[in-house]
Amino acid sequence: MPLARALTDIRSPLAPRFARWATAVAVSLAVLAPRPVPALAADLEAGRRKAVACAACHGLDGNSTNPTVPSIAGQVGIYLHWQLLLYRDKRRVDPQMAPIAAALSESDMADLAAFFAAQRPAPPAAGPPDPARAETGQRLAATYHCDDCHGRDFAGREYAPRLRGLSREYLVAQMRGFKARTRGDLDGAMTQAAQPVADADIEPLADYIGSIK
Amino acid sequence: MRLSPFRYALALTVVVAFVLATGLVAAQQAPPSWKQGQPKEMESSTLSPIAQPPAPKAPGEIPVDKIKVPSGFKVELWASGINNARVMTWGDRGTLFVSSRVAGNVYAVTDKGGSREVKTIAKGLNLPNGVAFKDGTLYIAEIHRITKMEGIEGKLDSPPEMKVVYETLPKDAPHGWKYLAFGPDGKLYFNIGAPCNICIPPDTHANISRVNPDGTGFEYWAHGVRNSVGFDWHPVTKELYFTTHGRDWLGEDVPSDRLDVAPKKGLHFGYPYCHQGDIPDPQFHSGRACGEFAAPLIKTGPHVAGNGVEFYTGSMFPPEYRNRMFLAQRGSWNRSQKIGFRVMMVTLRQGDVPRYEPFAEGWLQGDQVWGRPVYTRQMKDGSLLISDDYAGAIYRVTYGR
Ligand code: HEC
Ligand code: HEC
Repeated sequence: MPLARALTDIRSPLAPRFARWATAVAVSLAVLAPRPVPALAADLEAGRRKAVACAACHGLDGNSTNPTVPSIAGQVGIYLHWQLLLYRDKRRVDPQMAPIAAALSESDMADLAAFFAAQRPAPPAAGPPDPARAETGQRLAATYHCDDCHGRDFAGREYAPRLRGLSREYLVAQMRGFKARTRGDLDGAMTQAAQPVADADIEPLADYIGSIK
Repeated sequence: MRLSPFRYALALTVVVAFVLATGLVAAQQAPPSWKQGQPKEMESSTLSPIAQPPAPKAPGEIPVDKIKVPSGFKVELWASGINNARVMTWGDRGTLFVSSRVAGNVYAVTDKGGSREVKTIAKGLNLPNGVAFKDGTLYIAEIHRITKMEGIEGKLDSPPEMKVVYETLPKDAPHGWKYLAFGPDGKLYFNIGAPCNICIPPDTHANISRVNPDGTGFEYWAHGVRNSVGFDWHPVTKELYFTTHGRDWLGEDVPSDRLDVAPKKGLHFGYPYCHQGDIPDPQFHSGRACGEFAAPLIKTGPHVAGNGVEFYTGSMFPPEYRNRMFLAQRGSWNRSQKIGFRVMMVTLRQGDVPRYEPFAEGWLQGDQVWGRPVYTRQMKDGSLLISDDYAGAIYRVTYGR
């Protein structure tokens, strides 16, 4: 309650009473405020401290500069949290993330997911692909209904992750994984969506999605 | 007519090209299953399934007092911290086994007097929604297989290996998760849902099936069932009652979900040709008449998502509750004004339409959802447990005392 605390500091004869009133208002506002869905009871500041362990690969704020490591800044919070659970329970397999997820507690996961979800995603590192490829990719994305789930402009929504800003390499690797059924997912929806995608279509799709500004 | 070799080749090419083209187009252009069948005029709809929270709510975040029950009944939070809690089934020695869906876990809950202890006995499973218990053995249904853990109740800390009971099952994710229960005939019953919102399903899908607990004797019991993830047998007549989720994108108020009864093997309940007993599917009716199919016992409401069905056989609740059915509705996503998110009760009446009325509601406040009741399970003392997969909690409803 920073508002109430700030007001308590006002040095004036009226201040104590005003501060008490302000505290009461702030408390009732906190009670009335709609809880974020889902209530992760996450602690952003704790998340920031814990995120130091991720910086070497994902970048301090979750904007990765290594094309094989996904950017997680601004990613859908629910998605990040579920992915950490998938790695921990070995439903998603990766030699680098496995030991990291195994060492996280439930509240670490909630805090980290909340922290990275709240970071501002950097624009994609990849320059625009050549216009012909981008156009093919855009057409393919429409044909395969990718944005039905991933949201307009691939900005993600509660139900499915943000894809814009992910590197071309990472997108290609994940798509191949879904198609080969080696990339685990929460409910099988993405594995199923990847099945009809032709191998030759994966790269143009990644070119396009990875370059959306 | 005889075709010249040239014409023959041409005709063949045309046919092959057509098959290839339609096959490919169909494969590439099928929208995601939750969006299948969405008509053009609804294309801008922002409705989509409600995302499952990755963590259960803390007890302090669960407003149990918002749940309203008939007078004389009380609701308490019985257990929490059970991520994605779904089906509940009792072990012989009083362990409550609880399944989950996307969390991939199976839990064992033991009563420690004032509190409950939750242990995860299996994880990383493929949507293990179905759990059933018999003679010391826990049976678990994932999308692609049914397995068992023998003697589990004595080994909660080091669960025995999961032995395969039956695995000749489709692997489709949409509507692939199962409800699992022992029928009065000692067989295991489970659903194989349609692999889509609306489509002509393969013959192997859209049914309720059964198999012996040793994996032999598989057979279909009911056909034309889009997706039933809850059933129970009437305590007296021993007939199978089940809920079904109706198709999406036909409208805000249609079709209704249904409660059905399948007193004998082989009935067809209409999917995909006919919905709620009287609405032919605009695209997939295939010229079939609704009258050809078994009609619903109750139209339970559009998009309500009826899950658990359970007949009450206890003695804690007033006498009129005997043999009444509780029907948990997880609630809608494909409707702008949310509906469901409650436990209904159904009173069957000889020669009359059943009475259908709310028993517990309040998980939906305005258009805010804080919990989703999915299944019920009676306790030995006659109180009723309700699982909530959204809050990751179990409530207990008692009467009197
Ligand atoms: C040693 C390098 C490394 C470290 C340290 C690391 N990660 Fe990762 N992380 C990766 C790689 C590589 C992937 C992609 C793996 C794959 O393909 O599944 C990944 C993937 C992820 C994903 C999935 C993202 C997506 O878009 O699906 C999440 C979430 C994640 N990491 C979170 C974290 C968190 C939180 C930490 C710190 C506690 C962390 N990682 C530390 C290398 C690392
Ligand atoms: C049925 C809805 C649906 C459709 C259609 C769909 N996706 Fe997905 N996608 C998802 C979901 C849900 C996930 C998260 C999977 C998980 O739980 O790990 C996902 C994950 C992904 C990821 C991994 C992101 C990451 O950070 O690791 C990529 C890449 C992706 N989708 C690309 C695509 C492409 C390309 C298409 C079109 C060919 C597409 N998706 C169509 C639902 C969908």
